[in-house]
Amino acid sequence: MKETQRQKQKSQTRKQIIEAALKQYAKTGLIKTPTIEIAKSAKVSHGTIFAHFPTQDVLLTEVIEEFGFRVNKRLHELVEGKSTVEEILKAHLEGLTEYEDFYIRLVSESRLLPPQAQDTVIMIQSAISHHLSRAAEIEMSEGKLKKLPLHMVFNGWIGLIHYYLTNHDLFSPGESVLKRYGQELTAYYMALLQVRI
Amino acid sequence: MKTCIACGMPMEKTSDFAAGDVNKDYCVYCARPDGTMQSYDEKLDSMTEFIVRTQGLDKKAANEAAKSMMARLPAWKV
Repeated sequence: MKETQRQKQKSQTRKQIIEAALKQYAKTGLIKTPTIEIAKSAKVSHGTIFAHFPTQDVLLTEVIEEFGFRVNKRLHELVEGKSTVEEILKAHLEGLTEYEDFYIRLVSESRLLPPQAQDTVIMIQSAISHHLSRAAEIEMSEGKLKKLPLHMVFNGWIGLIHYYLTNHDLFSPGESVLKRYGQELTAYYMALLQVRI
Repeated sequence: MKTCIACGMPMEKTSDFAAGDVNKDYCVYCARPDGTMQSYDEKLDSMTEFIVRTQGLDKKAANEAAKSMMARLPAWKV
């Protein structure tokens, strides 16, 4: 009985650390946030962090993985029932807007992160590339969209939104770049893809 | 919500599940035509092919990423 209570407490503390890290990393960056700041924000001692996560890299990788899981789940919910490319692009931006601060850190710093964390980025992209490709294939075969390679349709979109996200301080200081430009980005990208009649 | 043990996809609708069976722990994309779950090698190949086709990654890089993603999923964890 006592053991169960202790395990419960342990898992609660672990969750508390992950939640605090998600907020702190989004605020001050993935690479440069010291674990002491995460400890303060989680209201635990610095040593407690390392009792749960042996190294800073393990903590970072687990937090990024948790983030990937949440974003994927949310994106999946949002694209549910959406069948056109335009609807999927809108749902993608809606999902990312909810996690914008952390996502910006992730894509800005991804090349400097441990390999496992980089794979999480590919996992997040896969959730969207799957739905986008399926919708694009149908609309291309119906003659609504230009016949373009699927990976270029996806990478063109990602390139565009990541440019705005990673330069958010230039495009929309102090406010959400996706909220401010989301509509314009979607309309522009759709205009590139659509077949003119 | 259940998550596919073999690829990590969240499964909500009946049609997300293998053979439309909500008791299954794997999704429609991880099932063979007869409804059984794909082997590790089959899944690794199909996930690599999917990443190359929809994201344009180099085949070897896509294969490495697929291996790493699969290593974290319940069906393939050692």
